[in-house]
Amino acid sequence: MMKQLFPIRHVMGYLSSLILSALAVTALLDIPFAAKMAILTVTAIIQASLQLFVFMHISETADTKKELYLNIAYALFVGLVTIFGSMYIFVWGWYS
Amino acid sequence: MKIDATKPLEYGSEENSNKIFGFWIFLGAEIALFSTLFTVYFVLVNRYATGPNGSEIFELTGVLVETFLLLTSSFTIGLAIHSMRLGLKKPMMIFFTLTLLMGLGFLGIEIMEFFTYVHEGASLSTSAFTSSLFILLGTHGAHVAFGLLWGTSILIQVKRQGFTLATANKSFIFSLYWHFLDVVWIFIFSFVYLKGLM
Repeated sequence: MMKQLFPIRHVMGYLSSLILSALAVTALLDIPFAAKMAILTVTAIIQASLQLFVFMHISETADTKKELYLNIAYALFVGLVTIFGSMYIFVWGWYS
Repeated sequence: MKIDATKPLEYGSEENSNKIFGFWIFLGAEIALFSTLFTVYFVLVNRYATGPNGSEIFELTGVLVETFLLLTSSFTIGLAIHSMRLGLKKPMMIFFTLTLLMGLGFLGIEIMEFFTYVHEGASLSTSAFTSSLFILLGTHGAHVAFGLLWGTSILIQVKRQGFTLATANKSFIFSLYWHFLDVVWIFIFSFVYLKGLM
């Protein structure tokens, strides 16, 4: 019964997400700034993929799979261009 | 209505499949929404004027508890959908209820956190930093709050009607929404709180 209610895939996904969160906290240690940002970026991306593939089953809908990936990829593209384009202009000051 | 028995019940009719597909498109729009809010925050994070900055108001303990609650609730809603696919109504309702309770706990801590910020002199109008912070956190928190009401109403329908094409579809779509909020929180946790505390 326990095995049936707690599939190993979900349990492993959950444990991984906890470990990844704990790993992200190591960015608070006294290490170079680039290393901190690398830790935060890598753990966040793995965590997000974990949710998408393990818990949200994005890959299981055979008939609309391609469209789903395209839709999410396009949304991410728009989001990343907005974030990094704005940072490029307002924070990193390309004009100065 | 024609039920396709080769698929899980939530995909059981064409209408159901379309609703799930439509919700994914909505989530795409949500990604764009939260991206713009992150943009505003990243651009304005150092404009704290005479008010406090992130490292002065953020408290790691509360944030860790919030993260734990949201990650665990994302796990339990996944288990709820898994039970639903096995046709087990009672475990599904228990996991679903746990999810909502943890969501409530998350929201409670976040509201207390907002009270503390304002008490420490960081309110919505203190600086560009606090405005963008509250808008980003508040939009996420409002999504969680809406999710609690939405989830409760779905839970009541599952209790009354059992697993039908409609309730299974609604439950599954709610699980997508809840996992998505967890994804947004991961980025808030990393790039707002941890980066702010660095």
